[in-house]
Amino acid sequence: MPLTLLECDKPIPEREKHTYIKKSGECIVPMCNVQTTPGDLTERGCTYAGCMGVVGGPVKDVIHLVHGPIGCAFYTWGGGRRQNLSDNTEFHRKYCFSTSMQEANIIFGGEQKLHKAILEAYERFPNVNGVFVYATCVIGLIGDDINNVCKQASKEIGVPVIPFSCEGFRGVSQSLGHHIANDVIFERIVGTKEPDEVTPYDINIIGDYNIQGDLWIIAPLFEAMGLRILCTFTGNASIDDLAMAHRAKLNVMHCQRSTPYICQLMEEKYELPYMPVSLFGVEQTSKALRDVAAFFGLGDKAEEVIESEVAKILPEIEYYKEQLRGKRVFIYQGAPRAWHWIKLMEELGMEVVGAATTFGHTDDYEKIIERIGDGALVIDNPNSVELREILIGYKPDLFISGLKEKFLAYKLGVPFVNGHSYERGPYAVYSGFLKFAKDIHTTINHPAWKLIEGRA
Amino acid sequence: MTQATAKAKTETKTKTKAEVKRSVTINPGMICQPIGAMQAVLGVHGAISLVHGSQGCAAYPMRMFNRHFQEPVEIALSSLGEDAAVFGGADNLVKGVHALVARRQPELIAVLTTCLSETIGDDVNGILRKIDLPTTLVPVHTPSYIGSHVTGYDNAVKALVTHLAEQTGPNSKINIPVGLLNPGDIRELKNMLAAMRVKAIILTDISETLDAPLILPRPWFPDGGTTLSEIADTANSIGSIAMCKHAGGGAAKYLANKHKVPMISGSCPIGVANTDAFLGNVSHLSGRPIPDELRKERGRLIDAMIDVQFKIAQKRVAIHADPDVASGMARFVHELGMEPAIVATGTESKEFVADVQAVASQTGHDIEIISGCDLYELHEAVKAVGVDLLMGNSQAKYIGDDEKIAFARIGFPVYDRVGYQRRAIIGYNGGINLMDLITNSILEHGDAS
Repeated sequence: MPLTLLECDKPIPEREKHTYIKKSGECIVPMCNVQTTPGDLTERGCTYAGCMGVVGGPVKDVIHLVHGPIGCAFYTWGGGRRQNLSDNTEFHRKYCFSTSMQEANIIFGGEQKLHKAILEAYERFPNVNGVFVYATCVIGLIGDDINNVCKQASKEIGVPVIPFSCEGFRGVSQSLGHHIANDVIFERIVGTKEPDEVTPYDINIIGDYNIQGDLWIIAPLFEAMGLRILCTFTGNASIDDLAMAHRAKLNVMHCQRSTPYICQLMEEKYELPYMPVSLFGVEQTSKALRDVAAFFGLGDKAEEVIESEVAKILPEIEYYKEQLRGKRVFIYQGAPRAWHWIKLMEELGMEVVGAATTFGHTDDYEKIIERIGDGALVIDNPNSVELREILIGYKPDLFISGLKEKFLAYKLGVPFVNGHSYERGPYAVYSGFLKFAKDIHTTINHPAWKLIEGRA
Repeated sequence: MTQATAKAKTETKTKTKAEVKRSVTINPGMICQPIGAMQAVLGVHGAISLVHGSQGCAAYPMRMFNRHFQEPVEIALSSLGEDAAVFGGADNLVKGVHALVARRQPELIAVLTTCLSETIGDDVNGILRKIDLPTTLVPVHTPSYIGSHVTGYDNAVKALVTHLAEQTGPNSKINIPVGLLNPGDIRELKNMLAAMRVKAIILTDISETLDAPLILPRPWFPDGGTTLSEIADTANSIGSIAMCKHAGGGAAKYLANKHKVPMISGSCPIGVANTDAFLGNVSHLSGRPIPDELRKERGRLIDAMIDVQFKIAQKRVAIHADPDVASGMARFVHELGMEPAIVATGTESKEFVADVQAVASQTGHDIEIISGCDLYELHEAVKAVGVDLLMGNSQAKYIGDDEKIAFARIGFPVYDRVGYQRRAIIGYNGGINLMDLITNSILEHGDAS
């Protein structure tokens, strides 16, 4: 059984191409990374969201100035959504900057307002080390020359002012925004500063955004093996960290959807190799540590770290494994976590009955299909109607997705864990795996589910 | 207080966005139009908003609703991409409407424009007119670069009545456009109306759609919401009372002009005097007396106000909320024996300034009034004026933290404490809730410091 058409998609048969039921030996990938069907009840975000919300926004010591009407800035303000934490809490994510374009600015152009806004923002926050300017939909239409404005303003204030042309309509999803941010950061920032000293053991962790502090549990593991982390891209990064990233000896790439671009660019220009890793669950994290250690000839160190970390979580993890064995889970994530976590769920003895991504590309789906079991559903960019049908039809014991799907799951009586911004995370590496398992166990066993009227 | 009255008339300060003259907005005090319109549409039974814009225009507001209401929310999208930006979005819109009807079978689709579609110049009204479907299609113009979420709500409710209201025969009901309030407020409104035995058409009713019970199976559309026939019937009502004149007042005005439905425009029924006035208006229009039940509720609120007097009297308060909530709150804070020192709103409005000036001159307080205020401006004012309590949405929390003052969460969005959306702030019972919130915020702050 290859591609399939959900009942709710009968009026929209083009959705069949996005919906696949895994069968071993087949080589089918659902259609992906294309424009959302108009009229869809989509869960996707826009190019601006990928550029500012995901990759650019976590940089902690620059003013993030959103050039456009007020909404786009408001929605990315604060740590509440993605909870990418930084150690600059007195500024980062606390302040939100916008040119708040008004009708007259749309008619007469917004360049002057943008220019003034950059100067005014910098005047009030002179300790920042740069300004990132993000163009929203309307800016692309009215044709403001943001490159020129940023260049001028940079001369005046003496710190980099960097434009991102990430108008929401440009791409089919967040994904193009990631790419734009990668390109701009590579072209404009990486390589513009040299570190005071380099060591033979310098690495960057690329593609981790420090959700609920993931990086703060990831970094110590690499450091315990004797490595030094030069730059984290972009969770808790300063603009200088990014500027000096080219001097690392290895890029350890975690999110493999939002950052292969910069890894490839750095490899070409600086001969800096990269290594894709999964830092979720015992098996994958241990493999990542071993692979990275092997690259540096530090194999024994990896074993020490793994042994000590696994010992810390083992008894409790064994308990959760016993409790969660055989539970069925449906995973819907941005892209890579949908396949990072298939293995993790299997480690817990759970069965992945379906996987979906918001903005996955072919390579993401290939990895999902390689890892997922026969008969499982793989669906690209599902909408609320399809999710409803899947949750009712497949009756998973657990749905892992993001905030926008959380309350739908709850209303359908399906236990849920937020895999985007986490519940009581962080969920990375060993200690995070335990927290993840605990949250999964908590929701599946919550006593209130049994009290719901009408629950079979 | 008499001394203060004289002073207030001369010293009340008013700032507007134009005077601030900053090009950069820092920590916005408002959102853009589409999200306000979406909230209005979410209160219509079987209705869905279809945003004529790019991906984020649906995804971001959904997330904001999720966080505030803790409810699932569906928003459809015409999914404008680069092609549409160049060639226009008509094809996407037509395809989108058909797909949404086929898949979801809504009774009504509100097509909301965005900065993108308005700037491209799509003739949304013309495009929708050519679509032949049994579903009601309502165009709502919500360009993000004009006004705020408050304007968007107002435009949406006005578009709904403009499109649907039809004179068929008197109905003895009162139209009540409610504004950007919460499910708890609507339930309280319904309780008050039920106590008075007054029939009303609530525009729009989110009390069930955004606070749905968890009972399986979940209905195809949430129960509740204002029905299309109720909206049609608004042309036949005995009058309209807009609870928030900035958000829903436009619909009342339209019904007055077009269908001669008398409108009363007052203050948002927050606190004693405002609720008295609101119920007085309901009584006036309906001819129904105010029953003992509501008199007792009023008495319980006042009893509670007297009880807490020494805990909160003379505390200086900064209020930041949507215009009608902020001006209503200013009067209530005065009734509580506190001093409204700063009353600010993110939406630029002369009416708001006049409303708060009226509170200032009637109560004798010096009030710094800031219209079109971002939170950076609010923060500066808090530092300059000095207050004991800040009332604002969750985004304003940092000001309370930085200035080490008590903080009470009101408005939208409130996401870092639970329950705000469930509890009324309007009516006498809402007054009790608010007073508890204010008093406990001050007490907890006192305990902590």
